[in-house]
Amino acid sequence: MSDARIQGYARALFEIARAEGTLDEVEDELFRFARSYESSEELRNALTDDLVPPEKRQAIVEDLLGGKATSTTTQLVSMVVGSGRGRDLLAIVDQLVRRAAGSKDLDVAEVRTAIALSDDQQARLKAALENATGKSISLKTVVDASVVGGVVATIGDTVIDDTVRTRIDQLKSRL
Amino acid sequence: MSMLANISLIAAESVPNDGVGSTSLHPILPPIGELIIGSIASFIVFGLILKLAGPTVKKSMSDRTARIQKDLDDSAAAASAAEVEASKIRAAKGDIDAERSRLYADADTQAEALLADGRVRIDAEMADLETRAAAELVSAAGRGGDELRAEIARYSAGAIDSVVNGTLDDAAQQDLIESFIARVGSSTGAAS
Repeated sequence: MSDARIQGYARALFEIARAEGTLDEVEDELFRFARSYESSEELRNALTDDLVPPEKRQAIVEDLLGGKATSTTTQLVSMVVGSGRGRDLLAIVDQLVRRAAGSKDLDVAEVRTAIALSDDQQARLKAALENATGKSISLKTVVDASVVGGVVATIGDTVIDDTVRTRIDQLKSRL
Repeated sequence: MSMLANISLIAAESVPNDGVGSTSLHPILPPIGELIIGSIASFIVFGLILKLAGPTVKKSMSDRTARIQKDLDDSAAAASAAEVEASKIRAAKGDIDAERSRLYADADTQAEALLADGRVRIDAEMADLETRAAAELVSAAGRGGDELRAEIARYSAGAIDSVVNGTLDDAAQQDLIESFIARVGSSTGAAS
């Protein structure tokens, strides 16, 4: 899909969520769903398979999110998947998250860790990143077992990588 | 006259016979008349023969002499040509001997040169083979070293994953996160 079309979908989702008055919640839920979608090949295959009827794909989304996310989030994801844009869901959601943060003059910091961060850790990490970058941060955390340990934070084009995975890779490279 | 005298001396006395001729009284010699007539006739015949057949015989003899001379000359010429040919053959034989000697000498020279070239080439090939073999040995040793290092690195990498995953308990994970927060929090205005 072209960037313009992704931008168009992201803008539409953003406007709907803002009109519903659930922008923060929807943005967070979409971000988490996007991370699950990113890490699950089975889910990606199910939602992007053209042989699966749109109604079936939407039913899968509603089964996954029903009762766990707001109805706005469920309907937005269902709309994107039902219109055959499942392959662009990640790009659309990432664009939506950036747009939502931008609307509040925030920069998105995507933080990946091997284990979930506590609220206190998230708050301290947010403050540390704001202190380090001099920017207001909207923190998005992702539990990603591939990092093995430590933290990697991505703010725009800046990457602060202190993961065990990277250290292992560097050590292997030296070997 | 003297011839007639001689004839008369040798003629025998004869006696006339019944008017047709005479009969010699000598057992060998004819009567004188027959002797004279016979002698004259003989002279005439010899003269005619000498007169008429002489040039032909003389020419025939002359031609024969010329033919014989020609044959002799031809034989001499043939003998001379044969001698020349023999000389040529002898010279040619000498040339053949010289050519054979030259060819033998050339063949010997070429064989020596070929042998020398072969020795040089074989020496060069042997040297090249030895050099390549030495390089191969060094390369093989290097490859063996590289493969050994790669194998060690592979096992080490596997061991690293295993050791790290076994070591990273929840407390270690928390330490890493806290360390990250502290390190990022201590830096200001720029990200590493």
